[in-house]
Amino acid sequence: MALRSLNLPGVGTKYEFETDKGDTVALFFTKTGTIQMYTLQKGCRTPSAAEMTPVEARRLGNILTGAIIEADQESVEIAFSALADLRITIHSYIIPPAIAGKTIQDLQIRAKTGTTIVAVSRNDKNIINPSPSFVFEAGDAVLVIGETDQLQLFEHEIMVD
Amino acid sequence: MEGILAAQGIIIALTVCLALALLSKYLTIPAIPFYIIAGVVLGKSGLGIVASDQISSFFADLGLIFLLFFVGLGLKVDKIADNSNAVLTSGIIDLNVNMLIGFLAAYLLGFSFIEALIIAAAFYISSTAMAVTSLIENRKLMMRESEAIIWLMVFEDLVMIIVLALLSAGNQNLFFFAGKIFVGLGVLYILAHYGKEFLVSILDREDELPVLFTFVAVLATAGCALYLGIPDTLMVIALGAAIATTDPDAFEQHARPFKDVFLVIFFVFFGISITLSAGINIFVIAIICILAIFSKLVSGVLTGIALYGSAKSGIEIWVNTIGRGEFSIALAALYGSPPVAATIAVMVIVTSLVGSFAAKYSDQLRLGLSGGKRHHGPPAHRTRMGH
Repeated sequence: MALRSLNLPGVGTKYEFETDKGDTVALFFTKTGTIQMYTLQKGCRTPSAAEMTPVEARRLGNILTGAIIEADQESVEIAFSALADLRITIHSYIIPPAIAGKTIQDLQIRAKTGTTIVAVSRNDKNIINPSPSFVFEAGDAVLVIGETDQLQLFEHEIMVD
Repeated sequence: MEGILAAQGIIIALTVCLALALLSKYLTIPAIPFYIIAGVVLGKSGLGIVASDQISSFFADLGLIFLLFFVGLGLKVDKIADNSNAVLTSGIIDLNVNMLIGFLAAYLLGFSFIEALIIAAAFYISSTAMAVTSLIENRKLMMRESEAIIWLMVFEDLVMIIVLALLSAGNQNLFFFAGKIFVGLGVLYILAHYGKEFLVSILDREDELPVLFTFVAVLATAGCALYLGIPDTLMVIALGAAIATTDPDAFEQHARPFKDVFLVIFFVFFGISITLSAGINIFVIAIICILAIFSKLVSGVLTGIALYGSAKSGIEIWVNTIGRGEFSIALAALYGSPPVAATIAVMVIVTSLVGSFAAKYSDQLRLGLSGGKRHHGPPAHRTRMGH
């Protein structure tokens, strides 16, 4: 797979590569701020195209790196090589009705799973570092940080309560 | 604040343009023809609501010099050298075919030699902005022809700079004139080269300085050039090219708001200044418009055959280069007599609209041309029927 990048005057930057199977993928970061992705199947003459905003493009990038598990739940794994290859994951969940009305303390999240809730998003407002007495509502989007198996515990122990 | 009332014509014109810009974005058609038509309707050929005065011509001049400054910023001569073969082939075909057809048509239809030259140059130069927008909006960037189109636009810009230089020389002694230009160029390049760190340190600031500096640099360059008797148009392009060696993206970002606003004023007041009555022959204008569309087809198909051995590639090049725009208007505003300006204005309106529609339906066009007598209908429809 050879990646070719090219600066097109007035248009922006082009990246293009051919896959092992002979299909071609081309990406254009245009000066208007949008990103266009073209795919051309081997043997075909006309490519198909999709135009994305930067946010959409980042989302697509997350999917391609295998980070997104479900459509409205995303996770990012970060590896810190300075900390003996610590791999830490940040994952988002939507609070189900079953645990609505309970606080972080009630659920004993840190004691049971080792994870920490770092942010809650409710009605487009973000609450960073919610206190232990924070009361969940159904539909809250929470951002949980921890190692992969701790997050699995969180999914099985807390989210189904 | 009564000074604002002195510019009420500009306010009216800009408000109309804003509404038209919204409409053109909604319809995904280039906005330039709308601005010119708005100018004609508001101006002396139409309702006579708005007339140009000193304030409006100052703003319109700003629009033109910022457009040219952007041309300079985008000049990347070193990159042209990298792809020189393909760029030269397509560029020279395009130049010869269109200049020749444009000049002969204008001269035979009764324009004077100089007028015919100006019409030929405006006839030749496609709109870079329209070509780029059309490639992006119609999702054509991946086509092999799109690179050729983009480089063709760069080549045309270079030719336009040469045309501007020749036209602005007028009756002066050419050696003396060229000497002055080279001295001006040299000074700008030396300033950009030795002042590079200073320029970058200004551009990196977060306060009002980067924008103020960009505005003053462009205006002062134009002012000095006029004072010294060197064409300001060329010096502003040279300033852009010299500054592009430091941080062109930052300058583009700081100069864009000025260009966006003042260029609209330039287009609409160009429309306002047009006199449709003064010895205009509709028949002559119509022939020039039809030829303007046809001659780009000839040059496009020849280029397609030369580069890719395919006339169909030429159709793709053609549809994206039909539209004439900002540079044709600039030539008309700078050097055109009233009949020339009116001719170029109509040509820009017709070609930009035709070009925009042709680019949208280029797939059908290509199919129609190659499919011959097959059953009509868009390609997507046909495959669906096959299932």
